[in-house]
Amino acid sequence: MASFAQAAEEHLDDVYGYLSWFTGDHAAAEDLAAETFERALRLWHRYDPDRGSARTWLCQLARTVALDHFRSERRRTRRERIAAAPERVDVRFAESLSPELEHALGGLTAGEREVVALRVLLDLDAATAARVLGISATNCTTRLNRALKKLEEALDVAA
Amino acid sequence: MSQRDVLAELRTARVEAPAELRNRVRVVARTAEPPARRFRARRVLLVLTPVAIAAATAAIVVAIRPSSSPPARRAVFGAVPRAVPNALETQVHGSAAGVPALAPSPARVQRYGASLTLRVVGSHVLSDDVKSALRIVGSYEGHVVSVHVTTTAGAGSAALVVKVPRTHVQQAIARLSRLGTIVSEQVDVQDAQAGINATDRTIRRLQAELATLRKEPQSPSVEQRIAALTTQIVSLQRSLATTVRTDHFATVRLSLTTAQPAAVRRRHGPLHGLGVAFRWAGIGLAYALALGAPAIAVVLLVWLTWRAIRRRRVDALLSRP
Repeated sequence: MASFAQAAEEHLDDVYGYLSWFTGDHAAAEDLAAETFERALRLWHRYDPDRGSARTWLCQLARTVALDHFRSERRRTRRERIAAAPERVDVRFAESLSPELEHALGGLTAGEREVVALRVLLDLDAATAARVLGISATNCTTRLNRALKKLEEALDVAA
Repeated sequence: MSQRDVLAELRTARVEAPAELRNRVRVVARTAEPPARRFRARRVLLVLTPVAIAAATAAIVVAIRPSSSPPARRAVFGAVPRAVPNALETQVHGSAAGVPALAPSPARVQRYGASLTLRVVGSHVLSDDVKSALRIVGSYEGHVVSVHVTTTAGAGSAALVVKVPRTHVQQAIARLSRLGTIVSEQVDVQDAQAGINATDRTIRRLQAELATLRKEPQSPSVEQRIAALTTQIVSLQRSLATTVRTDHFATVRLSLTTAQPAAVRRRHGPLHGLGVAFRWAGIGLAYALALGAPAIAVVLLVWLTWRAIRRRRVDALLSRP
Protein backbone atom coordinates (compact mmCIF):
# COMPACT_ATOMS: atom_id res chain seq x y z
CA MET A 1 0.00 0.00 0.00
CA ALA A 2 1.35 3.42 -1.03
CA SER A 3 2.00 5.95 1.72
CA PHE A 4 -0.26 8.91 2.11
CA ALA A 5 2.46 11.30 0.90
CA GLN A 6 2.92 9.25 -2.28
CA ALA A 7 -0.82 9.11 -2.93
CA ALA A 8 -1.18 12.85 -2.34
CA GLU A 9 1.68 13.68 -4.70
CA GLU A 10 0.39 11.31 -7.38
CA HIS A 11 -3.28 12.32 -7.37
CA LEU A 12 -3.23 15.99 -6.44
CA ASP A 13 -3.72 17.15 -10.05
CA ASP A 14 -6.64 14.80 -10.54
CA VAL A 15 -8.38 15.89 -7.36
CA TYR A 16 -7.79 19.55 -8.10
CA GLY A 17 -8.92 19.18 -11.73
CA TYR A 18 -12.07 17.38 -10.66
CA LEU A 19 -12.87 20.01 -8.05
CA SER A 20 -12.18 22.93 -10.33
CA TRP A 21 -14.47 21.57 -13.01
CA PHE A 22 -17.06 20.53 -10.44
CA THR A 23 -17.21 23.90 -8.69
CA GLY A 24 -16.27 26.05 -11.69
CA ASP A 25 -14.17 28.12 -9.32
CA HIS A 26 -10.35 27.76 -9.11
CA ALA A 27 -10.03 29.50 -5.75
CA ALA A 28 -12.74 27.39 -4.18
CA ALA A 29 -11.23 24.29 -5.79
CA GLU A 30 -7.85 25.07 -4.21
CA ASP A 31 -9.35 25.39 -0.75
CA LEU A 32 -11.49 22.30 -1.21
CA ALA A 33 -8.53 20.27 -2.49
CA ALA A 34 -6.48 21.27 0.55
CA GLU A 35 -9.38 20.37 2.82
CA THR A 36 -9.79 17.08 0.99
CA PHE A 37 -6.19 16.07 1.65
CA GLU A 38 -6.38 17.16 5.28
CA ARG A 39 -9.44 15.02 5.73
CA ALA A 40 -7.82 12.20 3.76
CA LEU A 41 -4.86 12.25 6.15
CA ARG A 42 -7.19 11.85 9.12
CA LEU A 43 -9.10 9.04 7.44
CA TRP A 44 -6.19 7.32 5.72
CA HIS A 45 -6.49 4.32 8.10
CA ARG A 46 -9.90 3.65 6.62
CA TYR A 47 -8.63 3.44 3.06
CA ASP A 48 -8.78 -0.16 1.81
CA PRO A 49 -6.84 -0.76 -1.45
CA ASP A 50 -8.90 -3.91 -2.08
CA ARG A 51 -12.05 -1.83 -2.46
CA GLY A 52 -10.67 0.62 -5.02
CA SER A 53 -7.73 2.77 -6.01
CA ALA A 54 -6.49 5.69 -3.95
CA ARG A 55 -7.59 8.04 -6.74
CA THR A 56 -11.18 6.79 -6.51
CA TRP A 57 -11.15 7.07 -2.73
CA LEU A 58 -9.72 10.60 -2.87
CA CYS A 59 -12.33 11.62 -5.46
CA GLN A 60 -15.09 10.30 -3.22
CA LEU A 61 -13.71 12.35 -0.34
CA ALA A 62 -13.37 15.38 -2.60
CA ARG A 63 -16.98 15.02 -3.66
CA THR A 64 -18.14 14.92 -0.03
CA VAL A 65 -16.11 18.02 0.72
CA ALA A 66 -17.48 19.76 -2.39
CA LEU A 67 -21.07 18.89 -1.52
CA ASP A 68 -20.54 20.34 1.96
CA HIS A 69 -19.19 23.44 0.23
CA PHE A 70 -22.24 23.67 -2.06
CA ARG A 71 -24.58 23.30 0.91
CA SER A 72 -22.84 26.02 2.89
CA GLU A 73 -22.83 28.24 -0.17
CA ARG A 74 -26.54 27.73 -0.62
CA ARG A 75 -27.18 28.58 3.01
CA ARG A 76 -25.01 31.65 2.67
CA THR A 77 -26.76 32.86 -0.46
CA ARG A 78 -30.13 32.25 1.16
CA ARG A 79 -29.08 34.30 4.15
CA GLU A 80 -27.98 37.09 1.89
CA ARG A 81 -31.15 36.75 -0.19
CA ILE A 82 -29.35 36.54 -3.46
CA ALA A 83 -30.18 32.97 -4.19
CA ALA A 84 -32.10 33.96 -7.30
CA ALA A 85 -28.95 35.24 -8.97
CA PRO A 86 -26.08 32.89 -8.17
CA GLU A 87 -22.68 34.39 -8.39
CA ARG A 88 -21.07 33.51 -11.72
CA VAL A 89 -17.34 33.21 -11.80
CA ASP A 90 -15.70 33.42 -15.18
CA VAL A 91 -13.28 30.54 -15.00
CA ARG A 92 -10.77 29.00 -17.34
CA PHE A 93 -11.36 25.23 -17.07
CA ALA A 94 -8.20 24.36 -18.98
CA GLU A 95 -5.65 26.23 -21.02
CA SER A 96 -6.07 24.10 -24.13
CA LEU A 97 -9.84 24.55 -24.46
CA SER A 98 -11.40 26.97 -26.92
CA PRO A 99 -13.30 29.96 -25.45
CA GLU A 100 -16.56 28.59 -26.89
CA LEU A 101 -16.10 25.24 -25.15
CA GLU A 102 -15.07 27.03 -21.96
CA HIS A 103 -18.29 29.04 -22.15
CA ALA A 104 -20.34 25.95 -22.90
CA LEU A 105 -18.80 24.14 -19.92
CA GLY A 106 -19.70 27.09 -17.75
CA GLY A 107 -23.30 26.65 -18.88
CA LEU A 108 -23.50 23.10 -17.62
CA THR A 109 -24.84 22.33 -14.17
CA ALA A 110 -22.39 21.28 -11.48
CA GLY A 111 -23.74 17.75 -11.69
CA GLU A 112 -23.10 17.58 -15.41
CA ARG A 113 -19.63 19.11 -15.12
CA GLU A 114 -18.56 16.61 -12.48
CA VAL A 115 -19.48 13.65 -14.62
CA VAL A 116 -17.55 15.16 -17.54
CA ALA A 117 -14.59 15.78 -15.24
CA LEU A 118 -14.58 12.23 -13.94
CA ARG A 119 -15.17 10.45 -17.23
CA VAL A 120 -13.18 12.71 -19.59
CA LEU A 121 -10.66 14.74 -17.60
CA LEU A 122 -9.71 11.95 -15.14
CA ASP A 123 -10.52 9.26 -17.72
CA LEU A 124 -12.29 7.02 -15.18
CA ASP A 125 -14.31 4.14 -16.51
CA ALA A 126 -18.09 4.22 -16.12
CA ALA A 127 -18.14 1.84 -13.15
CA THR A 128 -15.52 3.76 -11.17
CA ALA A 129 -17.08 7.15 -11.93
CA ALA A 130 -20.47 5.77 -10.94
CA ARG A 131 -18.99 4.59 -7.65
CA VAL A 132 -17.64 8.07 -6.92
CA LEU A 133 -21.01 9.59 -7.74
CA GLY A 134 -22.99 6.95 -5.83
CA ILE A 135 -25.13 6.05 -8.84
CA SER A 136 -25.33 3.17 -11.30
CA ALA A 137 -22.97 2.90 -14.28
CA THR A 138 -25.92 3.25 -16.68
CA ASN A 139 -27.06 6.40 -14.97
CA CYS A 140 -23.52 7.74 -15.13
CA THR A 141 -23.32 7.09 -18.88
CA THR A 142 -26.71 8.75 -19.40
CA ARG A 143 -25.58 11.83 -17.51
CA LEU A 144 -22.39 12.04 -19.57
CA ASN A 145 -24.30 11.75 -22.85
CA ARG A 146 -26.73 14.43 -21.72
CA ALA A 147 -23.85 16.74 -20.79
CA LEU A 148 -22.06 16.16 -24.08
CA LYS A 149 -25.27 16.84 -25.99
CA LYS A 150 -25.73 20.12 -24.13
CA LEU A 151 -22.15 21.08 -24.94
CA GLU A 152 -22.70 20.21 -28.60
CA GLU A 153 -25.88 22.30 -28.73
CA ALA A 154 -24.21 25.24 -26.99
CA LEU A 155 -21.30 25.12 -29.45
CA ASP A 156 -23.70 24.93 -32.42
CA VAL A 157 -25.53 27.98 -31.13
CA ALA A 158 -22.23 29.81 -30.66
CA ALA A 159 -21.17 28.91 -34.19
CA MET B 1 -19.35 20.52 -33.94
CA SER B 2 -20.19 16.90 -33.27
CA GLN B 3 -20.12 15.18 -29.88
CA ARG B 4 -17.01 13.31 -31.00
CA ASP B 5 -15.23 16.60 -31.67
CA VAL B 6 -16.34 17.97 -28.32
CA LEU B 7 -15.04 14.85 -26.61
CA ALA B 8 -11.76 15.02 -28.50
CA GLU B 9 -11.20 18.62 -27.47
CA LEU B 10 -12.15 17.92 -23.87
CA ARG B 11 -9.64 15.06 -23.78
CA THR B 12 -6.84 17.48 -24.61
CA ALA B 13 -7.53 19.40 -21.41
CA ARG B 14 -4.96 19.06 -18.68
CA VAL B 15 -5.39 20.70 -15.28
CA GLU B 16 -2.44 21.07 -12.97
CA ALA B 17 -2.66 22.05 -9.35
CA PRO B 18 -1.10 25.41 -8.56
CA ALA B 19 2.31 25.34 -6.90
CA GLU B 20 0.90 26.96 -3.79
CA LEU B 21 -1.68 24.18 -3.33
CA ARG B 22 0.97 21.53 -4.00
CA ASN B 23 3.13 23.01 -1.25
CA ARG B 24 0.19 23.12 1.16
CA VAL B 25 -0.61 19.47 0.56
CA ARG B 26 3.05 18.47 0.84
CA VAL B 27 3.29 20.27 4.16
CA VAL B 28 0.16 18.48 5.38
CA ALA B 29 1.49 15.11 4.26
CA ARG B 30 4.96 15.71 5.72
CA THR B 31 4.13 17.24 9.09
CA ALA B 32 1.65 14.69 10.28
CA GLU B 33 1.86 10.94 9.99
CA PRO B 34 -1.48 9.30 9.30
CA PRO B 35 -2.96 7.81 12.45
CA ALA B 36 -2.62 4.06 12.83
CA ARG B 37 -5.52 1.89 11.91
CA ARG B 38 -7.75 1.98 14.96
CA PHE B 39 -9.92 -0.72 16.34
CA ARG B 40 -13.32 -0.09 14.86
CA ALA B 41 -15.05 -0.02 18.22
CA ARG B 42 -18.02 1.94 16.96
CA ARG B 43 -18.67 -0.50 14.16
CA VAL B 44 -18.36 -3.49 16.49
CA LEU B 45 -20.71 -1.83 19.00
CA LEU B 46 -23.19 -1.15 16.23
CA VAL B 47 -23.37 -4.87 15.51
CA LEU B 48 -22.97 -6.24 19.02
CA THR B 49 -25.57 -4.04 20.73
CA PRO B 50 -28.64 -5.27 18.83
CA VAL B 51 -27.33 -8.85 18.94
CA ALA B 52 -26.87 -8.63 22.71
CA ILE B 53 -30.33 -7.11 23.17
CA ALA B 54 -31.91 -9.81 21.02
CA ALA B 55 -30.01 -12.57 22.84
CA ALA B 56 -31.00 -11.17 26.24
CA THR B 57 -34.64 -10.95 25.16
CA ALA B 58 -34.50 -14.52 23.88
CA ALA B 59 -32.96 -15.71 27.17
CA ILE B 60 -35.69 -13.96 29.17
CA VAL B 61 -38.42 -15.40 26.97
CA VAL B 62 -36.95 -18.91 27.30
CA ALA B 63 -36.55 -18.49 31.07
CA ILE B 64 -40.12 -17.33 31.75
CA ARG B 65 -41.74 -19.75 29.31
CA PRO B 66 -44.17 -21.99 31.20
CA SER B 67 -43.36 -25.69 31.37
CA SER B 68 -44.95 -27.79 28.66
CA SER B 69 -45.67 -30.70 31.09
CA PRO B 70 -49.39 -31.33 31.45
CA PRO B 71 -50.70 -30.27 34.86
CA ALA B 72 -52.46 -33.60 35.52
CA ARG B 73 -49.20 -35.41 35.12
CA ARG B 74 -47.49 -33.10 37.54
CA ALA B 75 -50.30 -33.56 40.03
CA VAL B 76 -49.95 -37.31 39.81
CA PHE B 77 -46.21 -37.54 40.11
CA GLY B 78 -45.27 -34.54 42.14
CA ALA B 79 -47.99 -32.70 43.96
CA VAL B 80 -49.94 -35.47 45.65
CA PRO B 81 -48.58 -36.18 49.11
CA ARG B 82 -47.96 -39.75 50.11
CA ALA B 83 -49.78 -39.41 53.43
CA VAL B 84 -53.37 -38.30 53.01
CA PRO B 85 -55.43 -37.52 56.11
CA ASN B 86 -58.82 -38.91 55.07
CA ALA B 87 -60.81 -40.32 52.23
CA LEU B 88 -62.48 -37.04 51.36
CA GLU B 89 -59.12 -35.48 50.77
CA THR B 90 -57.82 -38.41 48.75
CA GLN B 91 -60.71 -38.08 46.40
CA VAL B 92 -60.14 -34.39 45.93
CA HIS B 93 -56.46 -34.90 45.16
CA GLY B 94 -56.44 -38.21 43.48
CA SER B 95 -59.44 -38.41 41.23
CA ALA B 96 -58.54 -37.01 37.89
CA ALA B 97 -62.14 -37.15 36.76
CA GLY B 98 -63.36 -35.17 39.75
CA VAL B 99 -65.41 -37.92 41.44
CA PRO B 100 -67.11 -36.43 44.51
CA ALA B 101 -66.40 -37.88 47.92
CA LEU B 102 -69.27 -40.14 48.88
CA ALA B 103 -69.80 -41.69 52.27
CA PRO B 104 -72.07 -44.74 52.62
CA SER B 105 -75.38 -44.08 54.29
CA PRO B 106 -75.77 -46.13 57.48
CA ALA B 107 -79.61 -45.93 57.32
CA ARG B 108 -80.01 -47.29 53.78
CA VAL B 109 -78.80 -50.32 51.90
CA GLN B 110 -76.37 -49.31 49.15
CA ARG B 111 -74.10 -51.03 46.69
CA TYR B 112 -70.74 -49.38 47.31
CA GLY B 113 -67.78 -49.91 45.00
CA ALA B 114 -64.41 -48.14 44.98
CA SER B 115 -61.35 -48.37 42.75
CA LEU B 116 -58.03 -47.09 43.95
CA THR B 117 -54.78 -47.02 41.96
CA LEU B 118 -51.61 -46.31 43.88
CA ARG B 119 -48.04 -45.90 42.78
CA VAL B 120 -45.53 -47.46 45.12
CA VAL B 121 -41.81 -46.89 45.35
CA GLY B 122 -40.49 -50.12 43.88
CA SER B 123 -41.02 -53.83 43.39
CA HIS B 124 -39.16 -54.61 46.63
CA VAL B 125 -41.92 -52.92 48.69
CA LEU B 126 -44.77 -54.22 46.57
CA SER B 127 -45.27 -57.48 48.48
CA ASP B 128 -45.04 -55.61 51.81
CA ASP B 129 -47.69 -53.19 50.60
CA VAL B 130 -49.94 -56.10 49.54
CA LYS B 131 -49.58 -57.64 53.00
CA SER B 132 -50.33 -54.28 54.61
CA ALA B 133 -53.43 -53.94 52.45
CA LEU B 134 -54.65 -57.38 53.52
CA ARG B 135 -54.02 -56.51 57.19
CA ILE B 136 -56.01 -53.30 56.81
CA VAL B 137 -58.91 -55.17 55.21
CA GLY B 138 -58.81 -57.80 57.95
CA SER B 139 -58.77 -55.20 60.69
CA TYR B 140 -62.19 -54.00 59.49
CA GLU B 141 -63.55 -57.57 59.34
CA GLY B 142 -63.32 -57.56 55.58
CA HIS B 143 -62.11 -60.35 53.34
CA VAL B 144 -60.20 -60.84 50.14
CA VAL B 145 -61.93 -61.79 46.92
CA SER B 146 -58.84 -61.98 44.75
CA VAL B 147 -55.18 -61.03 44.78
CA HIS B 148 -52.94 -60.94 41.76
CA VAL B 149 -49.29 -59.87 42.05
CA THR B 150 -46.79 -59.59 39.18
CA THR B 151 -43.17 -58.57 39.56
CA THR B 152 -40.44 -58.30 36.99
CA ALA B 153 -36.96 -56.87 37.25
CA GLY B 154 -37.33 -53.38 38.67
CA ALA B 155 -41.10 -53.14 38.18
CA GLY B 156 -44.28 -54.81 39.37
CA SER B 157 -48.00 -54.53 39.93
CA ALA B 158 -50.65 -55.98 42.20
CA ALA B 159 -54.42 -56.13 41.77
CA LEU B 160 -56.56 -56.80 44.84
CA VAL B 161 -60.31 -57.11 45.08
CA VAL B 162 -61.45 -56.96 48.71
CA LYS B 163 -64.73 -56.70 50.57
CA VAL B 164 -64.95 -54.31 53.50
CA PRO B 165 -68.04 -53.65 55.63
CA ARG B 166 -69.75 -50.57 54.26
CA THR B 167 -69.71 -48.89 57.63
CA HIS B 168 -65.87 -48.90 57.66
CA VAL B 169 -65.11 -48.45 53.99
CA GLN B 170 -64.09 -44.80 54.30
CA GLN B 171 -61.55 -45.53 57.00
CA ALA B 172 -60.27 -48.53 55.07
CA ILE B 173 -59.79 -46.46 51.87
CA ALA B 174 -58.04 -43.73 53.85
CA ARG B 175 -55.57 -46.23 55.25
CA LEU B 176 -55.09 -48.03 51.96
CA SER B 177 -54.36 -44.76 50.18
CA ARG B 178 -51.40 -44.20 52.51
CA LEU B 179 -49.61 -47.18 50.99
CA GLY B 180 -48.53 -45.15 47.95
CA THR B 181 -49.10 -42.12 45.82
CA ILE B 182 -52.64 -41.89 44.52
CA VAL B 183 -52.82 -42.12 40.76
CA SER B 184 -56.57 -42.43 40.43
CA GLU B 185 -59.60 -43.10 42.56
CA GLN B 186 -63.18 -43.89 41.72
CA VAL B 187 -66.25 -44.47 43.93
CA ASP B 188 -69.56 -45.91 42.76
CA VAL B 189 -72.61 -45.90 45.04
CA GLN B 190 -75.91 -47.37 44.00
CA ASP B 191 -78.94 -47.20 46.30
CA ALA B 192 -80.65 -50.60 46.84
CA GLN B 193 -83.08 -49.54 49.56
CA ALA B 194 -85.95 -48.80 47.16
CA GLY B 195 -85.77 -52.29 45.68
CA ILE B 196 -85.63 -53.87 49.11
CA ASN B 197 -88.67 -51.88 50.23
CA ALA B 198 -90.60 -52.96 47.12
CA THR B 199 -89.70 -56.61 47.70
CA ASP B 200 -90.71 -56.30 51.35
CA ARG B 201 -94.09 -54.87 50.34
CA THR B 202 -94.59 -57.71 47.84
CA ILE B 203 -93.79 -60.29 50.53
CA ARG B 204 -96.25 -58.69 52.94
CA ARG B 205 -98.97 -58.63 50.27
CA LEU B 206 -98.33 -62.28 49.42
CA GLN B 207 -98.36 -63.22 53.13
CA ALA B 208 -101.76 -61.44 53.54
CA GLU B 209 -103.07 -63.27 50.48
CA LEU B 210 -101.72 -66.55 51.90
CA ALA B 211 -103.48 -65.92 55.24
CA THR B 212 -106.77 -65.28 53.44
CA LEU B 213 -106.45 -68.51 51.42
CA ARG B 214 -105.75 -70.53 54.57
CA LYS B 215 -109.02 -69.29 56.11
CA GLU B 216 -111.02 -70.46 53.07
CA PRO B 217 -112.40 -74.03 52.85
CA GLN B 218 -109.54 -76.19 51.62
CA SER B 219 -109.83 -77.69 48.21
CA PRO B 220 -107.13 -79.09 45.90
CA SER B 221 -107.01 -75.83 43.94
CA VAL B 222 -106.73 -73.73 47.09
CA GLU B 223 -104.01 -75.97 48.45
CA GLN B 224 -102.17 -75.74 45.17
CA ARG B 225 -102.45 -71.95 45.27
CA ILE B 226 -101.17 -71.84 48.91
CA ALA B 227 -98.15 -73.95 47.95
CA ALA B 228 -97.29 -71.62 45.04
CA LEU B 229 -97.59 -68.52 47.23
CA THR B 230 -95.46 -70.07 49.94
CA THR B 231 -92.70 -70.91 47.46
CA GLN B 232 -92.82 -67.39 46.04
CA ILE B 233 -92.63 -65.80 49.50
CA VAL B 234 -89.68 -67.98 50.54
CA SER B 235 -87.88 -67.14 47.32
CA LEU B 236 -88.41 -63.41 47.79
CA GLN B 237 -87.29 -63.59 51.43
CA ARG B 238 -84.07 -65.40 50.40
CA SER B 239 -83.42 -62.87 47.68
CA LEU B 240 -83.95 -60.03 50.12
CA ALA B 241 -81.60 -61.57 52.64
CA THR B 242 -78.95 -62.14 49.96
CA THR B 243 -79.19 -58.53 48.82
CA VAL B 244 -78.88 -57.16 52.34
CA ARG B 245 -76.00 -59.50 53.11
CA THR B 246 -74.15 -58.69 49.87
CA ASP B 247 -74.58 -54.97 50.15
CA HIS B 248 -73.33 -55.04 53.72
CA PHE B 249 -69.87 -55.18 52.14
CA ALA B 250 -68.34 -52.60 49.85
CA THR B 251 -66.16 -53.85 47.00
CA VAL B 252 -62.76 -52.17 46.85
CA ARG B 253 -60.51 -52.76 43.87
CA LEU B 254 -56.97 -51.80 44.75
CA SER B 255 -54.21 -51.56 42.11
CA LEU B 256 -50.63 -51.09 43.17
CA THR B 257 -48.06 -50.26 40.52
CA THR B 258 -44.42 -49.47 40.86
CA ALA B 259 -42.93 -46.37 39.28
CA GLN B 260 -41.37 -46.89 35.90
CA PRO B 261 -37.77 -47.94 36.38
CA ALA B 262 -35.58 -44.90 36.05
CA ALA B 263 -34.08 -44.60 32.62
CA VAL B 264 -30.48 -45.54 32.62
CA ARG B 265 -28.50 -42.36 32.43
CA ARG B 266 -26.69 -42.29 29.16
CA ARG B 267 -23.04 -41.68 29.39
CA HIS B 268 -22.38 -38.64 27.26
CA GLY B 269 -19.22 -38.18 25.30
CA PRO B 270 -16.78 -35.32 25.85
CA LEU B 271 -18.46 -33.23 23.13
CA HIS B 272 -21.97 -33.53 24.61
CA GLY B 273 -21.68 -30.07 26.21
CA LEU B 274 -20.75 -28.64 22.84
CA GLY B 275 -23.92 -30.11 21.33
CA VAL B 276 -26.04 -28.66 24.13
CA ALA B 277 -24.37 -25.29 23.69
CA PHE B 278 -25.04 -25.37 19.94
CA ARG B 279 -28.67 -26.30 20.55
CA TRP B 280 -29.16 -23.37 22.92
CA ALA B 281 -27.27 -21.10 20.58
CA GLY B 282 -29.64 -22.22 17.81
CA ILE B 283 -32.68 -21.51 19.98
CA GLY B 284 -31.28 -18.09 20.86
CA LEU B 285 -30.55 -17.40 17.21
CA ALA B 286 -34.10 -18.37 16.22
CA TYR B 287 -35.54 -15.99 18.81
CA ALA B 288 -33.11 -13.27 17.79
CA LEU B 289 -34.14 -13.68 14.15
CA ALA B 290 -37.83 -13.70 14.99
CA LEU B 291 -37.51 -10.55 17.07
CA GLY B 292 -34.80 -8.86 15.02
CA ALA B 293 -36.15 -9.38 11.50
CA PRO B 294 -39.02 -6.85 11.80
CA ALA B 295 -36.69 -4.33 13.42
CA ILE B 296 -34.13 -4.82 10.66
CA ALA B 297 -36.86 -4.41 8.02
CA VAL B 298 -37.95 -1.10 9.57
CA VAL B 299 -34.37 0.14 9.82
CA LEU B 300 -33.77 -0.87 6.19
CA LEU B 301 -36.89 0.96 5.06
CA VAL B 302 -35.89 4.09 6.95
CA TRP B 303 -32.38 3.90 5.52
CA LEU B 304 -33.64 3.49 1.94
CA THR B 305 -36.02 6.43 2.36
CA TRP B 306 -33.30 8.57 3.86
CA ARG B 307 -30.92 7.66 1.01
CA ALA B 308 -33.51 8.50 -1.65
CA ILE B 309 -34.21 11.87 -0.03
CA ARG B 310 -30.51 12.64 0.27
CA ARG B 311 -29.87 11.72 -3.35
CA ARG B 312 -32.73 13.93 -4.51
CA ARG B 313 -31.37 16.81 -2.46
CA VAL B 314 -27.88 16.33 -3.92
CA ASP B 315 -29.34 16.27 -7.43
CA ALA B 316 -31.20 19.50 -6.70
CA LEU B 317 -28.04 21.02 -5.29
CA LEU B 318 -26.05 20.14 -8.41
CA SER B 319 -28.72 21.12 -10.91
CA ARG B 320 -27.55 24.72 -11.05
CA PRO B 321 -24.71 25.98 -13.30
